[in-house]
Amino acid sequence: MATIEAPAPTVRERVRPEWLENIGGQLLALVAALVIALLLGSLIILAYGESPAAVYGAILTFSFGSRDGFGYVISIATPLIFSALAVAVCFKGGMFNIGVEGQYLVGMVAAAWAALKLDFLPGPLLMWVTIVFGMLGAVAFALVPAVLKVRTGAHEVVTTIMMNGIAISLVAWAINGPLHFTQQLAGFNINLRTDPFKANARIPDLGHRFGIPDSAHLSWLFPMALVTAAIVWFVLKRMRLGYEARAVGASAGSAQAGGISIGSVQIKLFILSGALAGLVGMQQLLADKGYLPVQYEAALGFTGIAVAFLGQNSPLGIVLAAVLWGVLARGETAVQIDTDVPREFVIILQGILIISVVVTYQLAQRRLLARQLRKAATVEGIGDSAAAVDIEGLAKEDR
Amino acid sequence: MSTPPLVVMRGVTKRFPGVVANDDVSLELRAGEVHALVGENGAGKSTLMRILYGIYPPDGGSIEVRGREVRIHSPRDAIASGIGMVHQHFVLVDPFTVAENVILGLEGSQLLHPDGSNQRVAELADRYGFQIDPAARVEELSVGEEQRVEILKALYRGVDVLILDEPTAVLTPAETSALFANLRQLRETGKTIVFISHKLDEVLEIADRITVLRRGKVVGETAPAETSKARLAEMMVGRPVLFRLEKPRTTIGEAVLQLVGLRGGRLRGIDLEVRSGEIVGVAGVEGNGQRDLADAIMGLRPLEGGSVLLDGRELTSTSTGDIRNAGVAFIPEDRQDQGLVLDMSLWENAVLGRQEDEDFSRRGGILLIKRIKQLAARLLQEFDIRARGIETSARTLSGGNQQKLILARELETDPRLLLAAQPTRGLDVGAIEFVWSEILEQKAAGRAILLISAELDEIYALSDRIVTLYEGRITGEYPPDAPAEEVGRGMLGDVASAKAG
Repeated sequence: MATIEAPAPTVRERVRPEWLENIGGQLLALVAALVIALLLGSLIILAYGESPAAVYGAILTFSFGSRDGFGYVISIATPLIFSALAVAVCFKGGMFNIGVEGQYLVGMVAAAWAALKLDFLPGPLLMWVTIVFGMLGAVAFALVPAVLKVRTGAHEVVTTIMMNGIAISLVAWAINGPLHFTQQLAGFNINLRTDPFKANARIPDLGHRFGIPDSAHLSWLFPMALVTAAIVWFVLKRMRLGYEARAVGASAGSAQAGGISIGSVQIKLFILSGALAGLVGMQQLLADKGYLPVQYEAALGFTGIAVAFLGQNSPLGIVLAAVLWGVLARGETAVQIDTDVPREFVIILQGILIISVVVTYQLAQRRLLARQLRKAATVEGIGDSAAAVDIEGLAKEDR
Repeated sequence: MSTPPLVVMRGVTKRFPGVVANDDVSLELRAGEVHALVGENGAGKSTLMRILYGIYPPDGGSIEVRGREVRIHSPRDAIASGIGMVHQHFVLVDPFTVAENVILGLEGSQLLHPDGSNQRVAELADRYGFQIDPAARVEELSVGEEQRVEILKALYRGVDVLILDEPTAVLTPAETSALFANLRQLRETGKTIVFISHKLDEVLEIADRITVLRRGKVVGETAPAETSKARLAEMMVGRPVLFRLEKPRTTIGEAVLQLVGLRGGRLRGIDLEVRSGEIVGVAGVEGNGQRDLADAIMGLRPLEGGSVLLDGRELTSTSTGDIRNAGVAFIPEDRQDQGLVLDMSLWENAVLGRQEDEDFSRRGGILLIKRIKQLAARLLQEFDIRARGIETSARTLSGGNQQKLILARELETDPRLLLAAQPTRGLDVGAIEFVWSEILEQKAAGRAILLISAELDEIYALSDRIVTLYEGRITGEYPPDAPAEEVGRGMLGDVASAKAG
């Protein structure tokens, strides 16, 4: 290597381009994925004898054509931001938290308990305490698989899936037992539910300030979700916990040899993930219903996995992906009302979108890496070009 | 030249963006020869052979096999022309048996005949003197045996030219000599072997002819009888290379590291002392507990007994983080698995192990990124690590530069003890020289160094004291000028003679 008369590396040069390269590549991949998904979706629409422009137009108008529509989109996106963040936090540390579903349900029960039993708390304090209880409940539930993983090696995918079942039964038990309603309200169906919460337990509406009706349930929870995403970004990128988590996720062996305690990082991540999961149910509980119903909006935790994937586990990406998901969910109604295409078309579109995101990101990442390897090889001089040669070879041999 | 060449590559050129990997390279392979292709990492050896094996299309030049020009578009074409290749990383189906792997894709019918294929593979192995059980599962085999399966796979397909890409990089010395015995037998039967390597001693031992590549060009062709290790190295690198560096004289002080009856994993009671200013070399065939020894000292594996002391302080069952803080620097044998987080940036890797230092993170756990980046920039400069910048990922570095980054990071901590496991594995001559001189500089600075290496050359080049590790025990202790045969006996567990010696 000493034979190569390459100039000494000037460290400051072109640091930004690589950063931009990464973001640019990802954006390009996302746009490509969207185009592919929309094109494939068009084929299905054409098969139904409808015009793709009309169907996509209907979806867009329903979401962006009116303030109401946009309000609905945002309030659908809000809980998904939390649940996707919960998934992403664990994912960065190399773990799959499939249990966000169960964790947020338990969080709802804990929050409902606080809202009902601590209703002597004055003013907005009740709301904040309720939210904190929701987070604590979810954290407690998330700690079980975390401790099992660290102590016994039980895989978190298996344990969290199993615990989702437990959570569903827990909600049913709570509504049937300790939190069972006591007051019959006029106009209410005799459904299983808790008593309604006091008004000061609820999260205040935000939408009416922008002329969006209360029925959209666009509350202060949305700005809270944005702030939460920013906090998660800060933790992952700027704090030691995030650094250690990413190291554990990318190479457990190197992290461990670097003195990072893998078990402790995993427990901390599950606590953080659980806390985020605890916020998922707040949209329905405190912004929408104002009581804990038995027909809670299920699968928010599972949808969070899809949204996290779509957003490539980055907080900014997750916010955008959640809004996109909101548009599609809203589009289901649009498709039903305005066209002859069945509403299930939107579910198919969601599936195609995820698959094309997976494919385009893989391609983009491979190209980016090959490109960066080549640039690295030029910097190192031809004597070290083996790396660049290897990656080209890998791409070939993969076929 | 009595026999016409079997394969002729003429004026082969291959460009990758920004790099000319092969520049007008010509090569002749004759029947029944071992032809060594040597050069530094990235000199273009593997690229040339991947072109011959149909993995890359060449940008220019032609290939003739048995006097007829051929176009090789894929490995399938190559095998049809009688050319086979065994890669550094094996591609075997682990749960399958040896025979199943060998015949994979050539089963012939939908119904499998395990007995028949076992017999055919056994016959093939016998013909070339390969010792292997066709019914054994690949996952139960040693690396050397897996390599034999790969070679058998190629032979089963009837190839005449066998390309071996760095075949000894993964082998123990004993497995290497077994491989060489096999290769000699293959040569007897008229097969041609292309031996890609940068281990010069091995090349001189096995090759009939040697072609040297540098920066994508052929710099010369020679034969073992006409050259020497030093001359080959000079051809490869383009300047004279020192194989022995001057060992600095140091006063050897008090014991820094003490291992007392260390047991766990493969370790069966290790007693060892390393003093300040001293390099203790642990020689041994791989798989005799080297990895466990390093892991045990670093707190990366549980112990069944014994203790680790640093400056008289008990480090047993202390966390890896505390062991590092106590002053132990670690160069792991697997730099990608225990050294670097390949998908993280250089600056993030530069601080790994010190992320809790108050220099680099605040009490509340917020990283002081500016300072970490300054550290990384300085390390890159001081150790001449060639990279686009500190934001680039560690994956984009060559092996030599990755190792330099680890060295830079670990030595920056001003350690009491440097634990260096296989520090030059997979590096080329120039990089090895750099790593060795850095380690000797640490000795000059009065640090204690425990060197674990499977390369006897390296042990001799650096050590003040040599111990041999065999089946988890220290089987002998030798002065740095002890004859290699004696150390070799200790490496094979011949305790009695080792003690006598």
